[in-house]
Amino acid sequence: MTEPTWAKVHYPKIDFQDQYYYSAPKSTSAPSSLDEVDPQLLETYKKLGIPLKEQELLAGVKSSQVAVDAVFDSVSVVTTFKAELKKAGVIFCSFSEAVREHPELVKKYLGSVVPQSDNYYAALNAAVFSDGSFVYVPPEGVRCPMELSTYFRINEKNTGQFERTLIIAERGAYVSYLEGCTAPTRDENQLHAAVVELVAMDEAEIKYSTVQNWYPGDKNGKGGIYNFVTKRGDCRGHHSRISWTQVETGSAITWKYPSCILRGDYSRGEFYSIAVSNGYQQVDSGTKMIHLGKNSSSRIISKGIAAGRSQNTYRGLVSAHRKATNVRNFTNCDSLLIGDKCGAHTVPYIEAKNSSAHFEHEATTSKISDDMLFYCRQRGLSSEEAVALVVNGFVRDVLQHLPMEFMAETQKLIGISLEGSVG
Amino acid sequence: MNVAIPKTKAEQALTEAFAASASKLPGGTAVKSARNDAIGAFSALGLPHRRIEEWKYTDLRVNFKDVAPPAIDDATAVSAEDVRAALGSVANVDVHAVVFVNGRHRKDLSTPGAMAGLEVQPLAGALTSGSDAVTEGLTTTTGPRSDATIALNTAFMTDGAVVRIGNGATLDKPLMVVFVTAGPRAHLTSVRNVISAGDGSTATLIEAHVALQGAATGGQTNTLSEVTTGKGAALTHIKIAAGTNAAVHLANWNVSLGANAEYRGFQYTSGQALARNQIHTVYTGPGGKLDLSGAYLVRGNEHVDTTLVVDHAVPQCESRELFKDVLDDRGRGIFQGKIIVRPNAQKTDGKQMAQALMLSPDAEFDSKPELEIYADDVVCGHGTTSAELDGDLLFYCKSRGIPENEARALLIESFVGEALDKVEHDDLRAALSQYATVWLNAPRS
Repeated sequence: MTEPTWAKVHYPKIDFQDQYYYSAPKSTSAPSSLDEVDPQLLETYKKLGIPLKEQELLAGVKSSQVAVDAVFDSVSVVTTFKAELKKAGVIFCSFSEAVREHPELVKKYLGSVVPQSDNYYAALNAAVFSDGSFVYVPPEGVRCPMELSTYFRINEKNTGQFERTLIIAERGAYVSYLEGCTAPTRDENQLHAAVVELVAMDEAEIKYSTVQNWYPGDKNGKGGIYNFVTKRGDCRGHHSRISWTQVETGSAITWKYPSCILRGDYSRGEFYSIAVSNGYQQVDSGTKMIHLGKNSSSRIISKGIAAGRSQNTYRGLVSAHRKATNVRNFTNCDSLLIGDKCGAHTVPYIEAKNSSAHFEHEATTSKISDDMLFYCRQRGLSSEEAVALVVNGFVRDVLQHLPMEFMAETQKLIGISLEGSVG
Repeated sequence: MNVAIPKTKAEQALTEAFAASASKLPGGTAVKSARNDAIGAFSALGLPHRRIEEWKYTDLRVNFKDVAPPAIDDATAVSAEDVRAALGSVANVDVHAVVFVNGRHRKDLSTPGAMAGLEVQPLAGALTSGSDAVTEGLTTTTGPRSDATIALNTAFMTDGAVVRIGNGATLDKPLMVVFVTAGPRAHLTSVRNVISAGDGSTATLIEAHVALQGAATGGQTNTLSEVTTGKGAALTHIKIAAGTNAAVHLANWNVSLGANAEYRGFQYTSGQALARNQIHTVYTGPGGKLDLSGAYLVRGNEHVDTTLVVDHAVPQCESRELFKDVLDDRGRGIFQGKIIVRPNAQKTDGKQMAQALMLSPDAEFDSKPELEIYADDVVCGHGTTSAELDGDLLFYCKSRGIPENEARALLIESFVGEALDKVEHDDLRAALSQYATVWLNAPRS
């Protein structure tokens, strides 16, 4: 395999021999107090106003109704609420534990959505992945009683993170899963190549939300995470449903296309994305909706915000197989430009291989209206607050699809990401 | 990937055909060297295939297998009546006509009446007698550098129209350049038009590629129009590719727009086994306005690909695109449209729309509208849709007493009509609308 070069991202060649593929956190138990956390990260939390779920975990707060699996560097360190989940029959554990405890499930589903030869970075992940999260929701209408959450953090210098997530929702099951990613400031570029596989059987629903805030590099474009991620959901059963919601604010480079294979009849795929880039960040993200089942439908809403010297690309595919009759897709990707040094690009592929497919695609690109900014400034907001307000309005359609707890934080996170982009 | 791909039969045939016919192609030393460079470039490039992003949906290595012998000094007997018959309803439009048969200028069939400010010369003559400076202008293009179809055109071009519209001139009626395919033998016809519209001029130019009744099937046409518009010029450019002889039609338009110039381009394509219409436009001065549109009627196993690039290299320019594909049987329509807005091209206004109407379950439409934007003070958008005939509309028509087949025709005509309305010349629009009606009423294969 050769390294893919089609994305609109530029970076020095990665030396894959010079990567650390496994790193265990210094202590195997969770940090006991917030003092152990990177102060810069804490400052960000402070700006966010509301403690993130991750912070609660770090602080040892156990009252939150969110079950968390935390993966530090290459090892899953703690998983909470296991017992409660077990009562509902839901398995939520680290990948290493799943391999030990539920080998039959892992064997059956691992690599069935993203085979090891799928693409360059998926192959790398398949070769070196060390841990990750595993979720299994049993059949016949089991609703996962709480939001599941995984928190990924790269702590160690010079390491890459290669985790694997596998979520299986059996017949009629429902699960909502949120992943948060973060990394402290580092000079070197670090590699993150994860693979996420989702399997939804008949009438099952998986809601997968990501708030990605990896270190984006400093203001001169030095350092930052290279985020090369393969995420794919397989709507295997009829009336199954997979929904991807992503908020991409971090990483020096984002190369990520959460996709849905709509295999089941009447299955539905959704993709809601906010990609904010500032400084020297490069984002090439989008989705693939592959319609194989009859009457399947999909919806794509993508909002890209480019500021500073960043490049923000939406790249997507919507295709209808010859035998997939009556499929529907609606795609809307809007881009907002802040400043004249950044770029926003849209590269959609629409392939209708039968006449009953109804595909609609629209995209617009524009800048923040001066009138809007003027109005906000006149009302006493600073220019940064005004931009954050307008941008939050721009991304509202997507924000609504995030779990409640994370909406407010995300709004603030977007504001923080755009700091320094105006004035 | 630097894996050497073995040459296809067609690639070898093209290089061999060039070696065999190079001495018979028109042009002096400078032209010959340009032709040699071009065939060299083609040998290096090879026929474009699906691994090349711009050719993802149209693989010439697969679709262009047999190369017909190049048409050089062909003398097939064709009468003015034959040409009128081939043109159909368009023959009734009042125009100045310049006719080429199998890639060779036919003075006897042309009626280029004298018009103030208009100069028309056959390309073959210009290549042979022109100075080096003139011929250099005729052999170079503003199109993409590494395009195999352009290289082949430069290597093989035999004739075409060199059109110069003087500064401030206004043509009283359209100039029509007709390219006729005729005769029992299939040919590879390579033609090139070089069109320059002077500052402040106004003109309508029609480029018609038609086939005579009974012309051999399996012919190939490679046509290129190099268009330059001066400051404030207004040029309407219409291309008709209507054949009945299952031909391969490779077409390039390379357009450069001067400051405040207005260019309205329209393309009509039907009856081609494989058509690839490439349009490459670039603005050279601010205030340029571009309006591109097209109607493509596709049936049988036909494959029609429209690939365009609108390069907003300077500020304050406007672009509009509207393309409509009607796809029947196993017809395949492709639209690839890229709008580039360069870093300093502020105040750009670009909008693009591509729509497909699929009449048969086996039809296919692939669309890739692209925006590449590096400036912030812009308004750009694109849209694309594909669907079959709306059942509700059909039901409405039927409930009003319109029989189903008439209702279908009505709906299809109104779909195509939106694009045809872009043609401002009344008679020509009516003639093209007639083309669409004839196509719709043609017996199904």
